Amino acid sequence: MKFNDADLYATLIHELKNNLGLLAMTIDGIPLQGDPAHDGVVDEARLLCQGVVDRLQQALLVYKAVNHQIHPVIDAYSPEDLVRELRDTATSLARGRLRVETAIDPAVPALWFFDRNLVEMALVNAIHNALAYARGVIRIQATVEGGGLVLSVRDDSEGYPEHVLSCVAQDMPYRARGTGLGLQFAKLIAQTHENQGRLGELRLRNEHGAVFSLVLP
Amino acid sequence: MAVIPTRNHDEPINYGALRALVVDDYPGMRSALKLTLSNFGISRIQLAGSATEAISRIQNNPFDFILCDFNLGEGRDGQQLLEELRHRGLISMDTVFIMVTAESVYEKVVATAELAPDDYMIKPFSAEVLRNRLDGILMRKQAFRKAHRYFLSHELDAAVAACDELIASKPKYLVDALRFKGELLNAMGRFEEAEALYKQVVQMRAIPWARLGLAKALHLLNREEEAQQELQDVLAQAPEMVAAYDLLAEVHLAKKDTAEAQAVLAQGVAISGKTVRRQQKLGEVAHANGDLETARAAYTAAVEKGRHSVFVTPADFGNLCRVQLEQGDVKAVAETLKNNRATLQASPEGQLVTAVVQGAMHTQSGQAGEARKSLDEAARLRAQGVRGEAPLLLNLAETCMAQGRPEEADAIVGEVARNAHDSETLLAKAKQIYLAAGREADGANVLATATADVRKLNNEGVMLAQKGEYRQAADKLLSACREAPFNPRLIMNAVWVSLKCLEREGMDEAMLEEARRRLDEADRQAPGHGRIAGLRLQMKEIEARFGIRKRNPA
Repeated sequence: MKFNDADLYATLIHELKNNLGLLAMTIDGIPLQGDPAHDGVVDEARLLCQGVVDRLQQALLVYKAVNHQIHPVIDAYSPEDLVRELRDTATSLARGRLRVETAIDPAVPALWFFDRNLVEMALVNAIHNALAYARGVIRIQATVEGGGLVLSVRDDSEGYPEHVLSCVAQDMPYRARGTGLGLQFAKLIAQTHENQGRLGELRLRNEHGAVFSLVLP
Repeated sequence: MAVIPTRNHDEPINYGALRALVVDDYPGMRSALKLTLSNFGISRIQLAGSATEAISRIQNNPFDFILCDFNLGEGRDGQQLLEELRHRGLISMDTVFIMVTAESVYEKVVATAELAPDDYMIKPFSAEVLRNRLDGILMRKQAFRKAHRYFLSHELDAAVAACDELIASKPKYLVDALRFKGELLNAMGRFEEAEALYKQVVQMRAIPWARLGLAKALHLLNREEEAQQELQDVLAQAPEMVAAYDLLAEVHLAKKDTAEAQAVLAQGVAISGKTVRRQQKLGEVAHANGDLETARAAYTAAVEKGRHSVFVTPADFGNLCRVQLEQGDVKAVAETLKNNRATLQASPEGQLVTAVVQGAMHTQSGQAGEARKSLDEAARLRAQGVRGEAPLLLNLAETCMAQGRPEEADAIVGEVARNAHDSETLLAKAKQIYLAAGREADGANVLATATADVRKLNNEGVMLAQKGEYRQAADKLLSACREAPFNPRLIMNAVWVSLKCLEREGMDEAMLEEARRRLDEADRQAPGHGRIAGLRLQMKEIEARFGIRKRNPA
């Protein structure tokens, strides 16, 4: 195997990510004891660990997208199954701290064409953010708008800061919470989805909290 | 807006009854995954650290669910493991196989897969996602159970009908059902319908598998230009989709553009060189093109990548040695035989390859005594009924001629010609051997006699069948099969008239049994030939009519 420097770093991050993933799974295995002093700390460790893993995964994909083109693996998937999967993930991450709601518009078809693994990564990242900022509830929903499937994560937080909204809307570089990598990543994933000349989009807005939406053509 | 219901199972999934196998080369990951699965209620969980270990576990116990990492360190990767399991029939269509990959290789793993697993997961993943995926796949398998059952018992019409039912009634499985139906239609020779079906899917979304299926149908309809255009478009969209290179090579071969076929195969190999069959094909095409260097590299790769793989047979060593001999590299031939001695000695076919190659090698280095010994050994093995592939046998014939054993050579060439009376490539190669030995006229005679015999019996049989004299036609063609037991066209004709005869004249157990055996041989000689599925179907109908119990599906 031969590396150039950048590949070496990517490999290193990759390895760190896998080790952290393992650490996250190990923490998952620690049983709750009903003692907030214990359980609260374990929970925090889990969330933090998961968050770092996701961040590293995003960093790797963004790195890959910069150096090579990303070819999404598009096939037909059930939006309902995806929302259910996200709900279960969110519920587990929230561990009763927050309520997780889902909603699916009856107009959403049984199947939609997208790269489920990539889309799920972007939405799980949004769920992490929502869990960090929400007051009591997060809501995962699927709707159809203008011929696109809209997958959204909403929370009841104070919403996105104004500068993040305007930067995303104007397609300018931005610094959101953290490094902004998560949003950059979500946008990248949305845009790799193309159908008959239409590109996917990332949309952020505030409406009784923050609303993160991926629009898939 | 409706709230998502909890999953509504047709039949509840009993996780306690599932037998699971986790394959990962990293012990920490194995035990973490084991913990995750046991939290689902799965109690029977086994672990394997490599493909070899996984195969030995699967041989001992069947599994319902295999969770396998793509990267398994040294040796075979997860995809090669899956291909071997399917090829050897070690897992059924009911077994759930989920491939775990890193995000960095995910696209490539998907694009280079010959056989798709039931799902891909990017690691790390949460227990909830895995649980949901597994639920979804188990339910899908439940929905497809009928279609799969019919497929396995070769009742392809019924399998198509089962797909149609799903298409009409289960919107969620629409695309999956169309995908399976398309594969069935192509396998059954219903290419126009396959074309229409794939066009329907492409209309929904131009996903690579649908375009590949469409290209395959077009190629099978001999519409090579359209197939080529489609494949080139697929590759523009998904440049790592190696199956498209393989099919494109077939298209070029059909157009008799062997140089382009070789170039395309080389591209496929550059993207994914692990697949033994792709290397074999490249070796074969390059050899035919006279590009010995490429052929040698490809055959070497096939033999080396395929060490311990079911896809490598003694014939591959024969092919490699033949190229090395043609290059005049006797030392390399000796090396190949020496390094693979144990593998080759393990089977009679391997022993025959060794004897033939040694004979040629000794002839080339002028050791007539040794060469004769090898030829005697080859003759002894063949007298015991050991089979060799046509190119190996022609090689043997060549050595026989060089060692002054022309009658033996003629008999061997005759045998090859009878079994391949319509293969231009093999007949041309045989002619060449006679030409080189200065026996052009003899060669023409041997080939004419051999092919004329088969052609004559075949034509007479077909004529009799056309006149409705099925019994005599069947007798003629079945006895022709005894002369040329590996000639696929002849076998298919013989099976066809035998079935006609049974249909008209009633049951004849011996004839049915022979037809069944011959059809299996035709399938081995010409796998996936368009006529085979139809013949199987007719055979089923006759068995059903005479109340013969179906054999258990493989």
